[in-house]
Amino acid sequence: MKNNEEVLLSIEHLCQYFRLNHKDFKAVDDVSFNIKKGEVFGLVGESGCGKTTTGRSIIKLYNITSGNIYFKGIRIGAGIRSYKEEIASLKAKLKKLKNQLKNNEISGDEFYREYEGIIKKIDLLKIEILKAKHDQKNVDKDYSAYLVKEVNSKYEQLLKSAKTEEEIASLKAQMKKELSIAKKSKIVTSIQMIFQDPIGSLNPRMTVQEIISEGLIVKGIKDKKYIQEKVYEVLELVGLVKEHATRYPHEFSGGQRQRIGIARSIIMEPDMIIADEPVSALDVSIQAQVINLLNELRDKLGLTILFIAHDLSVVKYFSDRIGVMYFGKLVELASSEELFKNPLHPYTKSLLSAIPLPDPEYEKKRVRITYNPIIEHDYSHDKPSMREVSPGHFVYCNDSEEAKYKEILAKQ
Amino acid sequence: MAILEVKKLKVSFRTNNGTVKAVRDISFSLEKGKTLAIVGESGSGKSVTSKAILGISAGNAIIESGEIIYDGKDLIKCTEKDMYHIRGDKIAMIFQDPLSSLNPIVRIGKQITEAMLLKNKAKQKESKHDFTVMLSNLRKAMHETSIKNNLDASSIDKLLEEFQQFVIIANKKMISFEASSEAMSDASSLLKDIIIKVDHKYHLDLVGQIKVIKHKLSLCKDRYFVLDISEDLNKINDSLNKVLATISKNIDNDFADENKFEIIQSNLHFVDNAFDTILSRTNLDFFSLGYLLHKDKSFEAKSYSMSYDEINAIALKYLDENFMPTFNKYTSDALYHSVYKTLEFKKEVVNFLKDFKKIINVESFDKKVIKEHIANLKPLINLSIDPLKTQKDSAVLILCNSLLIDTKKIFKAVKLNKKDERRYNRQIARYNKKIESGKKVDYKVAPQKTIDLADIVNDMHASIDSAIEKYESTIKKFDDHKYQKWEKISRLLFEYLKEKAHDSVYKLTKSAAKEKAIKLMEEVSIPEARSRFYQYPFEFSGGMRQRIVIAIALSAEPEILICDEPTTALDVTIQSQILELINELKARRNLSIIFITHDLGVVANMADDIAVMYAGKIVEIGKAEEIFYSPAHPYTWALLSSMPDLDTKEKLETIPGTPPNMIYPPKGDAFAARNKYALKIDFEEQPPMFKISDTHYAATWLLDPRAPKVEMPKIIKDRIERMKQKHSLGGNSDEK
Repeated sequence: MKNNEEVLLSIEHLCQYFRLNHKDFKAVDDVSFNIKKGEVFGLVGESGCGKTTTGRSIIKLYNITSGNIYFKGIRIGAGIRSYKEEIASLKAKLKKLKNQLKNNEISGDEFYREYEGIIKKIDLLKIEILKAKHDQKNVDKDYSAYLVKEVNSKYEQLLKSAKTEEEIASLKAQMKKELSIAKKSKIVTSIQMIFQDPIGSLNPRMTVQEIISEGLIVKGIKDKKYIQEKVYEVLELVGLVKEHATRYPHEFSGGQRQRIGIARSIIMEPDMIIADEPVSALDVSIQAQVINLLNELRDKLGLTILFIAHDLSVVKYFSDRIGVMYFGKLVELASSEELFKNPLHPYTKSLLSAIPLPDPEYEKKRVRITYNPIIEHDYSHDKPSMREVSPGHFVYCNDSEEAKYKEILAKQ
Repeated sequence: MAILEVKKLKVSFRTNNGTVKAVRDISFSLEKGKTLAIVGESGSGKSVTSKAILGISAGNAIIESGEIIYDGKDLIKCTEKDMYHIRGDKIAMIFQDPLSSLNPIVRIGKQITEAMLLKNKAKQKESKHDFTVMLSNLRKAMHETSIKNNLDASSIDKLLEEFQQFVIIANKKMISFEASSEAMSDASSLLKDIIIKVDHKYHLDLVGQIKVIKHKLSLCKDRYFVLDISEDLNKINDSLNKVLATISKNIDNDFADENKFEIIQSNLHFVDNAFDTILSRTNLDFFSLGYLLHKDKSFEAKSYSMSYDEINAIALKYLDENFMPTFNKYTSDALYHSVYKTLEFKKEVVNFLKDFKKIINVESFDKKVIKEHIANLKPLINLSIDPLKTQKDSAVLILCNSLLIDTKKIFKAVKLNKKDERRYNRQIARYNKKIESGKKVDYKVAPQKTIDLADIVNDMHASIDSAIEKYESTIKKFDDHKYQKWEKISRLLFEYLKEKAHDSVYKLTKSAAKEKAIKLMEEVSIPEARSRFYQYPFEFSGGMRQRIVIAIALSAEPEILICDEPTTALDVTIQSQILELINELKARRNLSIIFITHDLGVVANMADDIAVMYAGKIVEIGKAEEIFYSPAHPYTWALLSSMPDLDTKEKLETIPGTPPNMIYPPKGDAFAARNKYALKIDFEEQPPMFKISDTHYAATWLLDPRAPKVEMPKIIKDRIERMKQKHSLGGNSDEK
């Protein structure tokens, strides 16, 4: 599955700002990455660096500020800040042009040519904004309308070919059922989330059955027998038994609670799971259980997982590719082997040096590398961006640093 | 040397469903200056142990048995009043969640200084009490000696009178000295606050502030305080005047004019440095000076022309020559007398206890006799304790109470046993009758629940034995009348009195506490401590908050620090910072640390010794290297193999199942049900601690010579191999 090149989720220039004391707080700033089908993408960084915000933005728990999120090729999220900024800069340019014309610095012909171009650009951008707004708001509506259309066209043919009245009646009933599901289905539900705190994320007043089946009911399925069977199936899948369905969350241990959380997310048959620190709040022995379970599920169901964590040894064990975040920016992205073998960005190095290992002699010698962006980088002239220094290995750097990194890689 | 010893501790919790046996018979010892890590899953009783040590167990907790010995005292039997002096002062704790252990609506500075100020107040009161009690005891002992040796008692009275008087003089001098030094430190901390603002070009009322500083300086009037520094004070005043002069031309005090700004800044910094040097000079030894002033009234005028060091030297010499010889002679005699007087009583107590031990046995247990004996024992023990505190006798002091409790237990047990026996006989008779008559019986008679009296009696014997042993060793020490260290002990007594006299008047002011707190904050590497002193907890990040909690724990200068999962709520980088900090502090302050965690990886860096706990028991204990390189218990294997490291590729080994319900602890090895290496005997009998090396013990039947040989899981074996290889490689490269 690792060789699969089909991109499932693609994030372009994602920005998520929060309003804080009349200032923009940049939680996520210009992050782009692709997640291929069937892979586990790890996102690491210290607390407060925007990992969780990224995950939540993807499933549209927040309205993103700017950037695009594509899932299965459909744009599920779009922000308009970048367009607005561009329009503002264009308008400023226009003003400057007008001033120049007043002072007779440019001829009328030149002005007119420029002016037309800019106005055209602004119009295009305005259309983009409208499109983005529409996509952000109506993507689920469009998706369900598309599904309804599909169902209609499918049954149109079937109804034509049906002969007896009984057949027609049964087909119509079936169609009605499918239509009701299609009307309520959302594309976002094929991305599911597992939360960090298994106690806080389960409603203490609902039984396990109610918790797990809630998603199905919202989706529009009314067949109680079907739901029950589905719940049992999922419970078995995550290593619990049927009898657990009637119990309440407080009767379970931490590991089992996290299993319930996982069951709740996989019952929707998602294509992708965002696991937001699923093992951070658990004991070591239970951590292993949950990681093994996720690994199994991934093989069985062919899931794609965005794995958010701060424990690097777990991420390394679990993920195919890893992205390192620092204060809202993605600073390094590589396959997990490559990242641990050749960490290039100084922040990655400092993160790696902080991992504790069960080895006293090594630990006593371990030197932690501290990372101070002000000392490490000089970005006053040469602006940095995400660059590919070797195939599949991206680092956030500027020209001089890129050359340096390439040299380091060539040496090895 | 072990600083803290836990012996056979058992703790359980009373709940609605029954008693939960949280800690079952654990023993360990903490060495001075070392770190002991306690590792285990949640619910294994790690935190319960640490809370029992501090005496902050939950309300429904019962400490069934065991000893926690610190400084010769058993912390379990200590009264709450005694615990006040230990908790925080000697043993401090850092909790898991920094936010919940800080008050969100109180500024950081206040939270750090709060304990310091309260402790100081309590200490003052207590020292005063201790001082007078000790002095009256000493006087009594001295009088008794003089009567015995037919000496004149009036000279003793005169000596002690003199002692008391010069202590009063010394205290008077000190209080006035400290008032001045307080004013100075006030001025200093105010100036430091101003300097920060000036450096950052804040807008502030500089004129007003400097006037306040000048006022504070004018309060430094004590002649001894001003002694060495009158010149400095003049310079400081000049500098402050210069600053005022510069500002007065420009009342808005905007620092736009670089020249003026520099003048102000340099002058303020100069004053700051001067303050620092003044505050950091050596103090006067008021105690000896008090004696000198008491004897020689003219010295005071003379002393104003000397420096501190000269005064100290002269005063000390004078005290040593004129007062100490007589004082030493009298106190040594008194000490000698008091020790041998109490020694007689000690012998009596030992004989009494030996008789008493014979009375307490299972066969003949008379309530009246025992109660009488204990009533007689109490005054005897009180007499046998040396009022001059040459020995620590707390173990014996507690004896009476524990004996009383144990006898109460016995009487209760006797009552209950009889009742239960009757019930059992009645029910079994009915049961047999039914069977005989051929009826179908579908129940069983509940077995007899009797409490073994022998156990309780053994407990009593053990505590009596330990007391006898303690007394016999002291009797042996002193019995031959050749003990020669009286001089030394009398000197110690003198120092004790001196310290108490000092403590009873020493007052920690708010500004001094603030300076102390800022120093602490700097010690735990919080940047810009001075400006952060007034911030609220929510203004700090998680790592910084944990640092503040550590600073609060360190504010009382404890000997033992208990860290209860201090890094679990933090992420990797901050975790390693905090661990480094704790290690650094440990080295600097020679702390002993108990480190509680569930993450073995964290422990590797920190611990000297590791105890692995499971279901309320220690299953493996040893040096860190031994636990990591040659683990022996299956549970340790399971813990090690369930965490991935950077080279792991295989499927992780998990621990199946959940920890056992501790209301009904399993009969055999608690881990047997989840252990794939479990033997049959594991389900039947609890394994003892098998010795692997002098420091390494593990409780598993696998180590029994009869057990089949089991290798540790491959994943760990490979990892250890890999680590060793790495070390050998690393070693070689170092040599090159």
